Amino acid sequence: MNSNSNSNSSAGAGAGGHDRWCAALSAELRRQGLGPELVGHVVAEAAGHLRESGDAPLSAFGPPEVYAAAVAESVGGAARSRRRPWRPVGPVLLEARGIAKSYRRRTVLDGVDLTVRAGEVAAVVGANGSGKSTFLRICAGLASPDRGTVRVAGSIGYCPQDGGTSEHLSADEHFSLVGAGRGQSRSAGRAAGRGLAAALDWRPDSRLARHLSGGTRQKLNLVMARIGEPDVLLLDEPYQGFDRGTYLDFWQEVWRWREQGKALVVVTHLLGRLDEVDTVLDLTPAPAAQGATR
Amino acid sequence: MDQDRRAQWLRGALDLCILALLATGESYGYELSQRLQAAGVGAIQGGTLYPVLLRLQRAGLLTASWREGEAGPARKYYAISPEGRAMLSGVIGEWSAFTGAVDAILREAKVR
Repeated sequence: MNSNSNSNSSAGAGAGGHDRWCAALSAELRRQGLGPELVGHVVAEAAGHLRESGDAPLSAFGPPEVYAAAVAESVGGAARSRRRPWRPVGPVLLEARGIAKSYRRRTVLDGVDLTVRAGEVAAVVGANGSGKSTFLRICAGLASPDRGTVRVAGSIGYCPQDGGTSEHLSADEHFSLVGAGRGQSRSAGRAAGRGLAAALDWRPDSRLARHLSGGTRQKLNLVMARIGEPDVLLLDEPYQGFDRGTYLDFWQEVWRWREQGKALVVVTHLLGRLDEVDTVLDLTPAPAAQGATR
Repeated sequence: MDQDRRAQWLRGALDLCILALLATGESYGYELSQRLQAAGVGAIQGGTLYPVLLRLQRAGLLTASWREGEAGPARKYYAISPEGRAMLSGVIGEWSAFTGAVDAILREAKVR
C-alpha cells in the first residue's frame, strides 16, 4: 500500500497496520470462497477508504474475518451460485448397494445405498453410533459388509477420523511411504505431500507424528489420502481439531476437488454445509425409511 | 441516542439513502460516508457501508467502475442504474407513507 501524509496522521493506524489488516482480509475473503478478482477489488476499496479517512482498520471495518463474512454474505447468492450450478456429468465412481452390517446382535447398517459420480460430493450424516465410520470403512474396502456390494471405479483415498499415522515417522516419511504405495519415487511423494499440506496452511517440519497436535495429525491424514490424486476420496470427519480458518480452507478444497471431477464422500456432523453438497446420506435410524435423499 | 436503535433504523434505510445520494450523481465509498454523516444519519463505518454497496451492485441497482483519482490510486465509483432509479422512485412513496404513519402514532402519544 502507498503511504501518504493522511495515513500517518492518525495515531495507531500506520500504514504497516493497514497492510497487515488488508493482507489478513485478503486471506479471509479467499477462505470465504470469493474469486481472486473480487477479493482484489474489495481489499483495494477498503484500503482506499482507510487511506482517505485515516481510520484504524479495526474501528472502520472490524476484524478481517468478520468483515470478510459480511462481504461474503452480501454477495452470497453469487458466491454460492458458482458452486451450485456445477452439475455432475461424470460416470459413477462409487456405488454401494444394500450394505448391511451387524456387530454381535446390533444392526448398524441395514440396506444402505449410495451412488457418487465424478464431480459429486456426498455427505454422510447421522447420530453417534449410526454406522457412519463403518459405512466409510466398507466403502474403502477396510471392512466387509454382511450383505451388499461396493463397486469403485478408479483409485481410493481414505482419511480416517483418527489414527492412521505412524508415531515414529515424520510427515515427510509418511508422504514418501504413501507415495511409494501409489508408485511414486520418495522425492515425488514428499513433494506432493508438501504441496497438499501448503493448501491447508501447514508447513511440515521434521517432528515425528507423535509430537504433532491432533489437528496437525488430521492434516497429515488428509494429505496422505490425497497423494497420488485418487479418483474417489473417502473422508471421515477429517477436520477434527482444525481451527476455524483451516476448517474453511478444508471446505474450499472440497469444492475444488469436486470441480476436478473427484467423487467425494465426507462424513460430517455439521449441518451447515448440507445445502451445498450433492447428496446427503442420513444414517440416523428411523422407524420410517432410511437411505439416500437428495 | 441509543446506538442500537439507530443502527436498526439505518438497516432499513441505508440502501435507500445510498441510492438517493447516487441519484444526484456518481460517488465513491468514502465520499458517500461523508455525505451520509453530513446529512445527519450518523457515522457509517466502512464495514457497514461497503457490503451494502456490494449488495446493491450485485442486484443491478448500481453500476461500478474503477477510475484513477487525481492523485493516488484508483477509486471505485458507483452510479445508479436505470433499475436502481425505478426501484427508488417506487420506494420513495412507500417510505413516506410508512414514516408518515409512524410520525402520526408518535405525535398522538405526545399530545396525551
